[in-house]
Amino acid sequence: MSEITKKIQEIAREILEKGEAEIVIGWEKGTFWYLSPPAFIDKPEDTQRLVWDEFCHNNLSKYLLDYKNHEGKVAIFVKGCDSRAFNRLLQDKQVDREKVVLIGIPCTGLKDQDKAKSLGPNGDIPKAQKCMECKYPTPLVYDYLIGGEEALNEVAATKEAPDFSDVKAVEEMTPDERYDFWTKQYDRCLRCYACRNVCPACSCRECIFDQTRIGWIGKANNSSENQFFALTRAMHVAGRCVECGECERACPMDIPIMLLNKKLIKDINELFGKYDAGIDPEGKLPLGHFDKNDPEEFM
Amino acid sequence: MKRVGVFICHCGSNIAAAVDCEKVAENAKSFPGVAFSTDYKYMCAEPGQDLIKKAIKEHKLDRIVVASCSPRMHEPTFRRCIESGGLNPYLLEMANIREHCSWVHPDDKERATFKATELVRMAVAKVLKNEPLDKSTIPITKRALVIGGGIAGIQAALDIANAGHIVDVVEKEPSIGGRMAQIDKTFPTLDCSACILTPKMVEVANHPNVNLITYSEIEKVEGYVGNFDVTIRKKARSVDMKACTGCGTCYQKCPSKVPSEFEMEMMDRKAIYTPFPQAIPNKPVIDRENCRYFKTGKCGVCQKVCPTNAVDFTQEDELVTERYGAIVVATGFDLFDESVYGEYGYGKYKDVITGLHFERLINASGPTMGKIKRPSDGKIPKNVVFIKCVGSRDEVKGKAYCSKTCCMYTAKHATLVREKIKDSNVYVFYMDVRTPGKGYDEFYTRTTDQFGAKYIRGRVSKIYEKGDKLIVRGEDTLLGRPVEVEADMVVLATAMVAKSDAAKLAQMIGFSYDQNHFYTEAHPKLAPVETHTAGVYLAGACQGPKDIPDSVAQASAAAVKVCGLLSKEEMPTEPIISAVDEAICAGCGMCVPVCPYKAIDMKVIQERVHGKTISRKVATVNSGLCQGCGACTVACRSAALNLKHFTNEQILAEVDALCL
Amino acid sequence: MSVKEIPQNWEPKILVFACNWCTYAGADLAGLSRLQYPPNIRILRVPCSGRVNPQFVIRAFQRGVDGVLVAGCHPGDCHYVTGNYFTRRRYLLMQRLLQYVGIDPERFQARWISGSEGPKFQQVVNQITEEIRAMGPNRKLRDAQ
Repeated sequence: MSEITKKIQEIAREILEKGEAEIVIGWEKGTFWYLSPPAFIDKPEDTQRLVWDEFCHNNLSKYLLDYKNHEGKVAIFVKGCDSRAFNRLLQDKQVDREKVVLIGIPCTGLKDQDKAKSLGPNGDIPKAQKCMECKYPTPLVYDYLIGGEEALNEVAATKEAPDFSDVKAVEEMTPDERYDFWTKQYDRCLRCYACRNVCPACSCRECIFDQTRIGWIGKANNSSENQFFALTRAMHVAGRCVECGECERACPMDIPIMLLNKKLIKDINELFGKYDAGIDPEGKLPLGHFDKNDPEEFM
Repeated sequence: MKRVGVFICHCGSNIAAAVDCEKVAENAKSFPGVAFSTDYKYMCAEPGQDLIKKAIKEHKLDRIVVASCSPRMHEPTFRRCIESGGLNPYLLEMANIREHCSWVHPDDKERATFKATELVRMAVAKVLKNEPLDKSTIPITKRALVIGGGIAGIQAALDIANAGHIVDVVEKEPSIGGRMAQIDKTFPTLDCSACILTPKMVEVANHPNVNLITYSEIEKVEGYVGNFDVTIRKKARSVDMKACTGCGTCYQKCPSKVPSEFEMEMMDRKAIYTPFPQAIPNKPVIDRENCRYFKTGKCGVCQKVCPTNAVDFTQEDELVTERYGAIVVATGFDLFDESVYGEYGYGKYKDVITGLHFERLINASGPTMGKIKRPSDGKIPKNVVFIKCVGSRDEVKGKAYCSKTCCMYTAKHATLVREKIKDSNVYVFYMDVRTPGKGYDEFYTRTTDQFGAKYIRGRVSKIYEKGDKLIVRGEDTLLGRPVEVEADMVVLATAMVAKSDAAKLAQMIGFSYDQNHFYTEAHPKLAPVETHTAGVYLAGACQGPKDIPDSVAQASAAAVKVCGLLSKEEMPTEPIISAVDEAICAGCGMCVPVCPYKAIDMKVIQERVHGKTISRKVATVNSGLCQGCGACTVACRSAALNLKHFTNEQILAEVDALCL
Repeated sequence: MSVKEIPQNWEPKILVFACNWCTYAGADLAGLSRLQYPPNIRILRVPCSGRVNPQFVIRAFQRGVDGVLVAGCHPGDCHYVTGNYFTRRRYLLMQRLLQYVGIDPERFQARWISGSEGPKFQQVVNQITEEIRAMGPNRKLRDAQ
């Protein structure tokens, strides 16, 4: 058992025993060796199920939305991206800071789940793409910190710069090539909404794609409607995406969803100045305010 | 089953010449929902309107499309028409087939007819989703608040009070009067400022409808037109206003001297003081920062000498909340910080002063009892230099705008120097002389021709001391040569700037201000005293540099707006506003910052979930504030917000109809 | 049918979202001044350009519109004070996103046209109509027919 897993189990047990929280959300081993899905623990003796390994992908902050009406406190483990998601949910007034116990884990990067599956446990499994571009590997907000300040500094040194070369590659195509590229991607979309369901930026009480009364959301699974979904989803997470890459990982059809999200992140930074979502829970959202000196292209 | 009636107007030949109206009416018969369709020569004329009303009855129509001119022209007409025909006025849509069709496509009847048909189809598709809307009303509290007790505030308060409404005037300083009280004479008539201001001060103080709240500041503003809840901080005066008789013994005996703000620090006042002899209320306050008792705990002389026991060191700030129907903001201006111009030596040379210092110097009750004496040694200056546009019209170091009053008050100062000091020489450095205003140019002409002030067109580059003289170096750009004046005193015509806390007040009340922090009027031409916030009006220099006549005129205009509002028991609200579907609203609050009218608040609702009562926050739209722009509807990702009459469903129905 | 093939008698169909206070008034002025332009545009009146949800734009392309113009008051002149500043942010982003998924830049445009700019309205409509006519019918994002 790894040192961190041990610490995780200890602290989770302590929190439950002391009654600091009624539920601890962490990760546990799943059906396969390369899966570490979320675990919802409410008994101290169950904390031994908790693990920390290179497959703890799920952004746990998202699950806090399920506990909005829960009276007691909930404890969750947060990596850098989970903590950004938590800040985002604070900014969206979807969580109450007082009702959540955050246990920070400095994260040195997770492994690519799909590659793990194909290469096997002994293969040389590369890091997940999102982790190779991760600017915030350490949690930004926490009540407890696994490994202490020392681990925090060590991990902070491993931070990477975002890489927009994949976005640029698409930008360099001709319009028709781009259209073909995205049509091929979204023609595969099943409209299962897994991308939305794991996304911590998707915090609506009722997603418009689930609404029946509304006249603008086609339910049909066809090229046009799928692209409507793709563009609308992208605009809805514009300025809110914390780059956790969960949408892409959850997509059963391997649609490069982050390629859309990253485009918007790149454009927001280029057009409206530097902005990283989920850093400042008090800050204004890029599409929630304006600057009179914004670029003027519509003269 | 909805039954739409379609009415195609020929507008004489205005439409009919380019569009086959009969054919459009015929085509419309096949559109879903259309029960009746016809064309007529003049829909807006009496017989045309009767045609519509008759058709509503005969064909049991429940919504109407009129295809004619722009709805910006006749939408109100046809709304009234169908209302008198028995329908809700909002069950009308118009297709603009004149401005947007016949007039711009006069040469291609076939395609213009096709376009008109499509425009009608869009309107029919939309009207099928129209809902009847009702105007509601909000109550009006018949009490006005004027913020600022300068001449603008006083005038506004008097006008409102004379119309029979109750007005509260909140003034930050211990006395009302504002800047005008500091001024000696007024242009272009040279009548004494105090002589025309103090009667107004007395009038407003004694008016049965006016309630003066001096030495007080606005702390919080909530609510909306007709119903502003304003919290006012009444600062502790340390003097019981009821007991004090204003005898003045306290400030005669007070041992602490403080430079007087009113006298531009050229004279001292006491720690317990009234700002000037004619102050209203003429009852002192204790400046606690400079009071010996508050600083050391020892002293209390004022308390001992007060014959009525009015001095009360234990007084505390008091917060009062009052409800107002309307607010007039008349907070005035500050002076530009001229120390930015290091080359003029302001602050370094005692005899380089501002225009407002000069006003006090020539004032009979000022530090020199009205004798023009220079501050450094009290000598009577012989050569006086005036420099205009200090901070105005200077984008680099100052403000880009013209301060509007400086040309005239400099001319006034020049005249007064020449009048009071017979052997004096007056030099005025200027960029331009701007004298629009009744009697203004005549005054300026007298200043130069009759009083012999020498106007030199050019900027001053440097002022330095030489002995007891100030050497003013500049350039005469008309003659194209350098000039040097040996001056005894230099007066800078400093720019008017917004109050340092102007932005704070605007944010508190919720209206906008420009890059210079002057308050923004709703429309620069047609709504110059309104703000974008209904029920809040502007008066005086807080909106931009203004002289006294302009400030007074604007104050009276603002007062009329207030009276218009307060003359009603309640006011109707436009029904085209946003509405929240609470079942969908997640309470994220994204809509709040995009609303320009602060019309959206968050409220807590309670509901039953799995047998438990939970409370959660949702957005709520204030119908008194919402103006129906729809910005919030786009900010809301889950479409919990929708704009009535321009709903998502209606707009999409139009989009779809266009593409059939 | 390939994208380049243009059917006979095809006329571009262009949807203009016009704010009530500026652009709609500008179009009215174009009419009052009898400024001619091709009859390919359909104006949809909205209170403010800030009311135009990006989803409306996608829907228009889905239903077969060949081009979309969102037009409102010039920044600083918005009848609703700040609406068009949000429009500008939103559509700066949306325009790039549409291009990123392959929509030709001419197909979606935004412009500021005031109530006094009748000639500008005419000129913008002329220009967009010509650009889109040259490109042929839009097939991208369209519903299967």
